[in-house]
Amino acid sequence: MELKVESISKKFKNDSSFQTVLKDLDFTVREGQFVTLLGPSGCGKTTLLTIIAGFQAASGGRVLINGCQVTRPGPDRGFVFQNYALFPWMTVRDNILYPMKQRKVPGKEREKRLEELLGMAQLEGKEKLFPHQLSGGMKQRVAFIRALAGKPEVLLMDEPLGAVDMQMRQSLQDDLEVLWLKDKTTVVMVTHDVDEAIYLSDRVIVMSAQEGKIVEDLPVRLPRPRDRKGMEYHKHKERLAEALRIAMGKRPESPEAKRQLCLA
Amino acid sequence: MEPLGDKARVFNSRNTRLMREKIMGGQVHKQLLYPLITIAVVFGVWQLAANHYNSEFMMPSPCKTMVTFASVVHDPEVIKNLLITLKRVLTGFFYALLIGVPLGFLMGYSKTAMRLFDPLIDSLRQIPIMAWVPLTIVWFGLGDGPTIFLITFSGVFPIIINTVAGVQNISRDYYNAARSMGGGSWSIFTKIIVPASLPDILIGSRVAVGLGWMSVI
Ligand SMILES: Nc1ncnc2c1ncn2[C@@H]1O[C@H](COP(=O)(O)OP(=O)(O)OP(=O)(O)O)[C@@H](O)[C@H]1O
Ligand SMILES: [Mg+2]
Repeated sequence: MELKVESISKKFKNDSSFQTVLKDLDFTVREGQFVTLLGPSGCGKTTLLTIIAGFQAASGGRVLINGCQVTRPGPDRGFVFQNYALFPWMTVRDNILYPMKQRKVPGKEREKRLEELLGMAQLEGKEKLFPHQLSGGMKQRVAFIRALAGKPEVLLMDEPLGAVDMQMRQSLQDDLEVLWLKDKTTVVMVTHDVDEAIYLSDRVIVMSAQEGKIVEDLPVRLPRPRDRKGMEYHKHKERLAEALRIAMGKRPESPEAKRQLCLA
Repeated sequence: MEPLGDKARVFNSRNTRLMREKIMGGQVHKQLLYPLITIAVVFGVWQLAANHYNSEFMMPSPCKTMVTFASVVHDPEVIKNLLITLKRVLTGFFYALLIGVPLGFLMGYSKTAMRLFDPLIDSLRQIPIMAWVPLTIVWFGLGDGPTIFLITFSGVFPIIINTVAGVQNISRDYYNAARSMGGGSWSIFTKIIVPASLPDILIGSRVAVGLGWMSVI
């Protein structure tokens, strides 16, 4: 699996003027990588992710999955929505079975995979409940395993923990990491939380408020589960915070950052 | 699109959660208690008014009315007429569903269908129901035809309008979610559009049955 974003641009027409949200974005995601897109609000993270998903078309450039150009949504790209978008009229069970039925997975195998996924997300015994009967964290886990159920090549997540409060967030990050480690699907996640980005990803791409330009592409090679108080962790965090300041168009504080700004 | 949305609000309480609970049961005791209180109050006021006028003709007392009502209900002729009316309302309502729901789906989903049908439906709606009576007698003769037509006619609009509102209110995320899980058009129709708009269709149906009873006379 290889996800290739090739000089993607996106313009929106507002009244009479054009707003360039993304301009000539390039990057490649390798098999099994957990990549996070980080950036200030409004920099075009969601726009980029939905273009990869095929929910909207780019104004220029193309997205390739294993060399095939993306033109519309497809089961090779799972999507986890910020508000989960679980179908409220279906039980947890039917929600998770939906992608498998669409892919014509035979009945026996379907049940087996359902058991497996429910076990993975510690949701055994919850399959008969409706989404509104679940806690926020449970909804998040259902959304995650539903997106995995159809065995997508890449999982796209738009602020999957955005709707959750700070305390809950850290424990859900643990859950998410545990789930991901069991499956190791390629992931592209959007967030604007620096800590979340470092805690979860193998690689963090920082986008700028100006045309979504990539101001930093930082590999994170710390052992998992990560120690939020460790020295290395802290260094990564500072580096990303700095990049984020540049991304927002503020004055950089260190000479290293100034050099990056010149490059950017 | 806009004008229809506004009209929908007139019929539509938008309180679909409440609607669901009401349809699916919920707290039966409370549901019984409150109507009983209302009935008791109405009877009390009625009795007071009857005492005030003290005249059988102008304001018969509730007890007297009940006794008469009971004897009337036993009359086979009355029961027969009641059943006939019920059958007409149900037949008319059935046709209203048959026309209204598919049309509502179509107009809610496709902007082109909306542009095609909205002006027609909007102008038909404005015609007072009584204006149809002579025409329908010419069309259908004097039997059940005109009544059923009028029941269908009055019921079809709230069904269309609520179905349209129901379909239009489906979040884009549900379509995108379904398609990114490999859902095709048929699956999106049966598994997303129909269940998501069902509460609104039921609201429309309720209004339609109510209007149907009013147009049987
Ligand atoms: N459909 C649209 N029409 C016009 N402008 C749009 C549309 N969608 C997004 N935009 C604009 O594109 C820019 C980027 O939006 P986007 O939602 O991608 O930001 P984001 O990085 O996801 O922000 P956040 O972190 O707040 O979610 C914003 O300025 C927004 O106003
Ligand atoms: Mg966003």
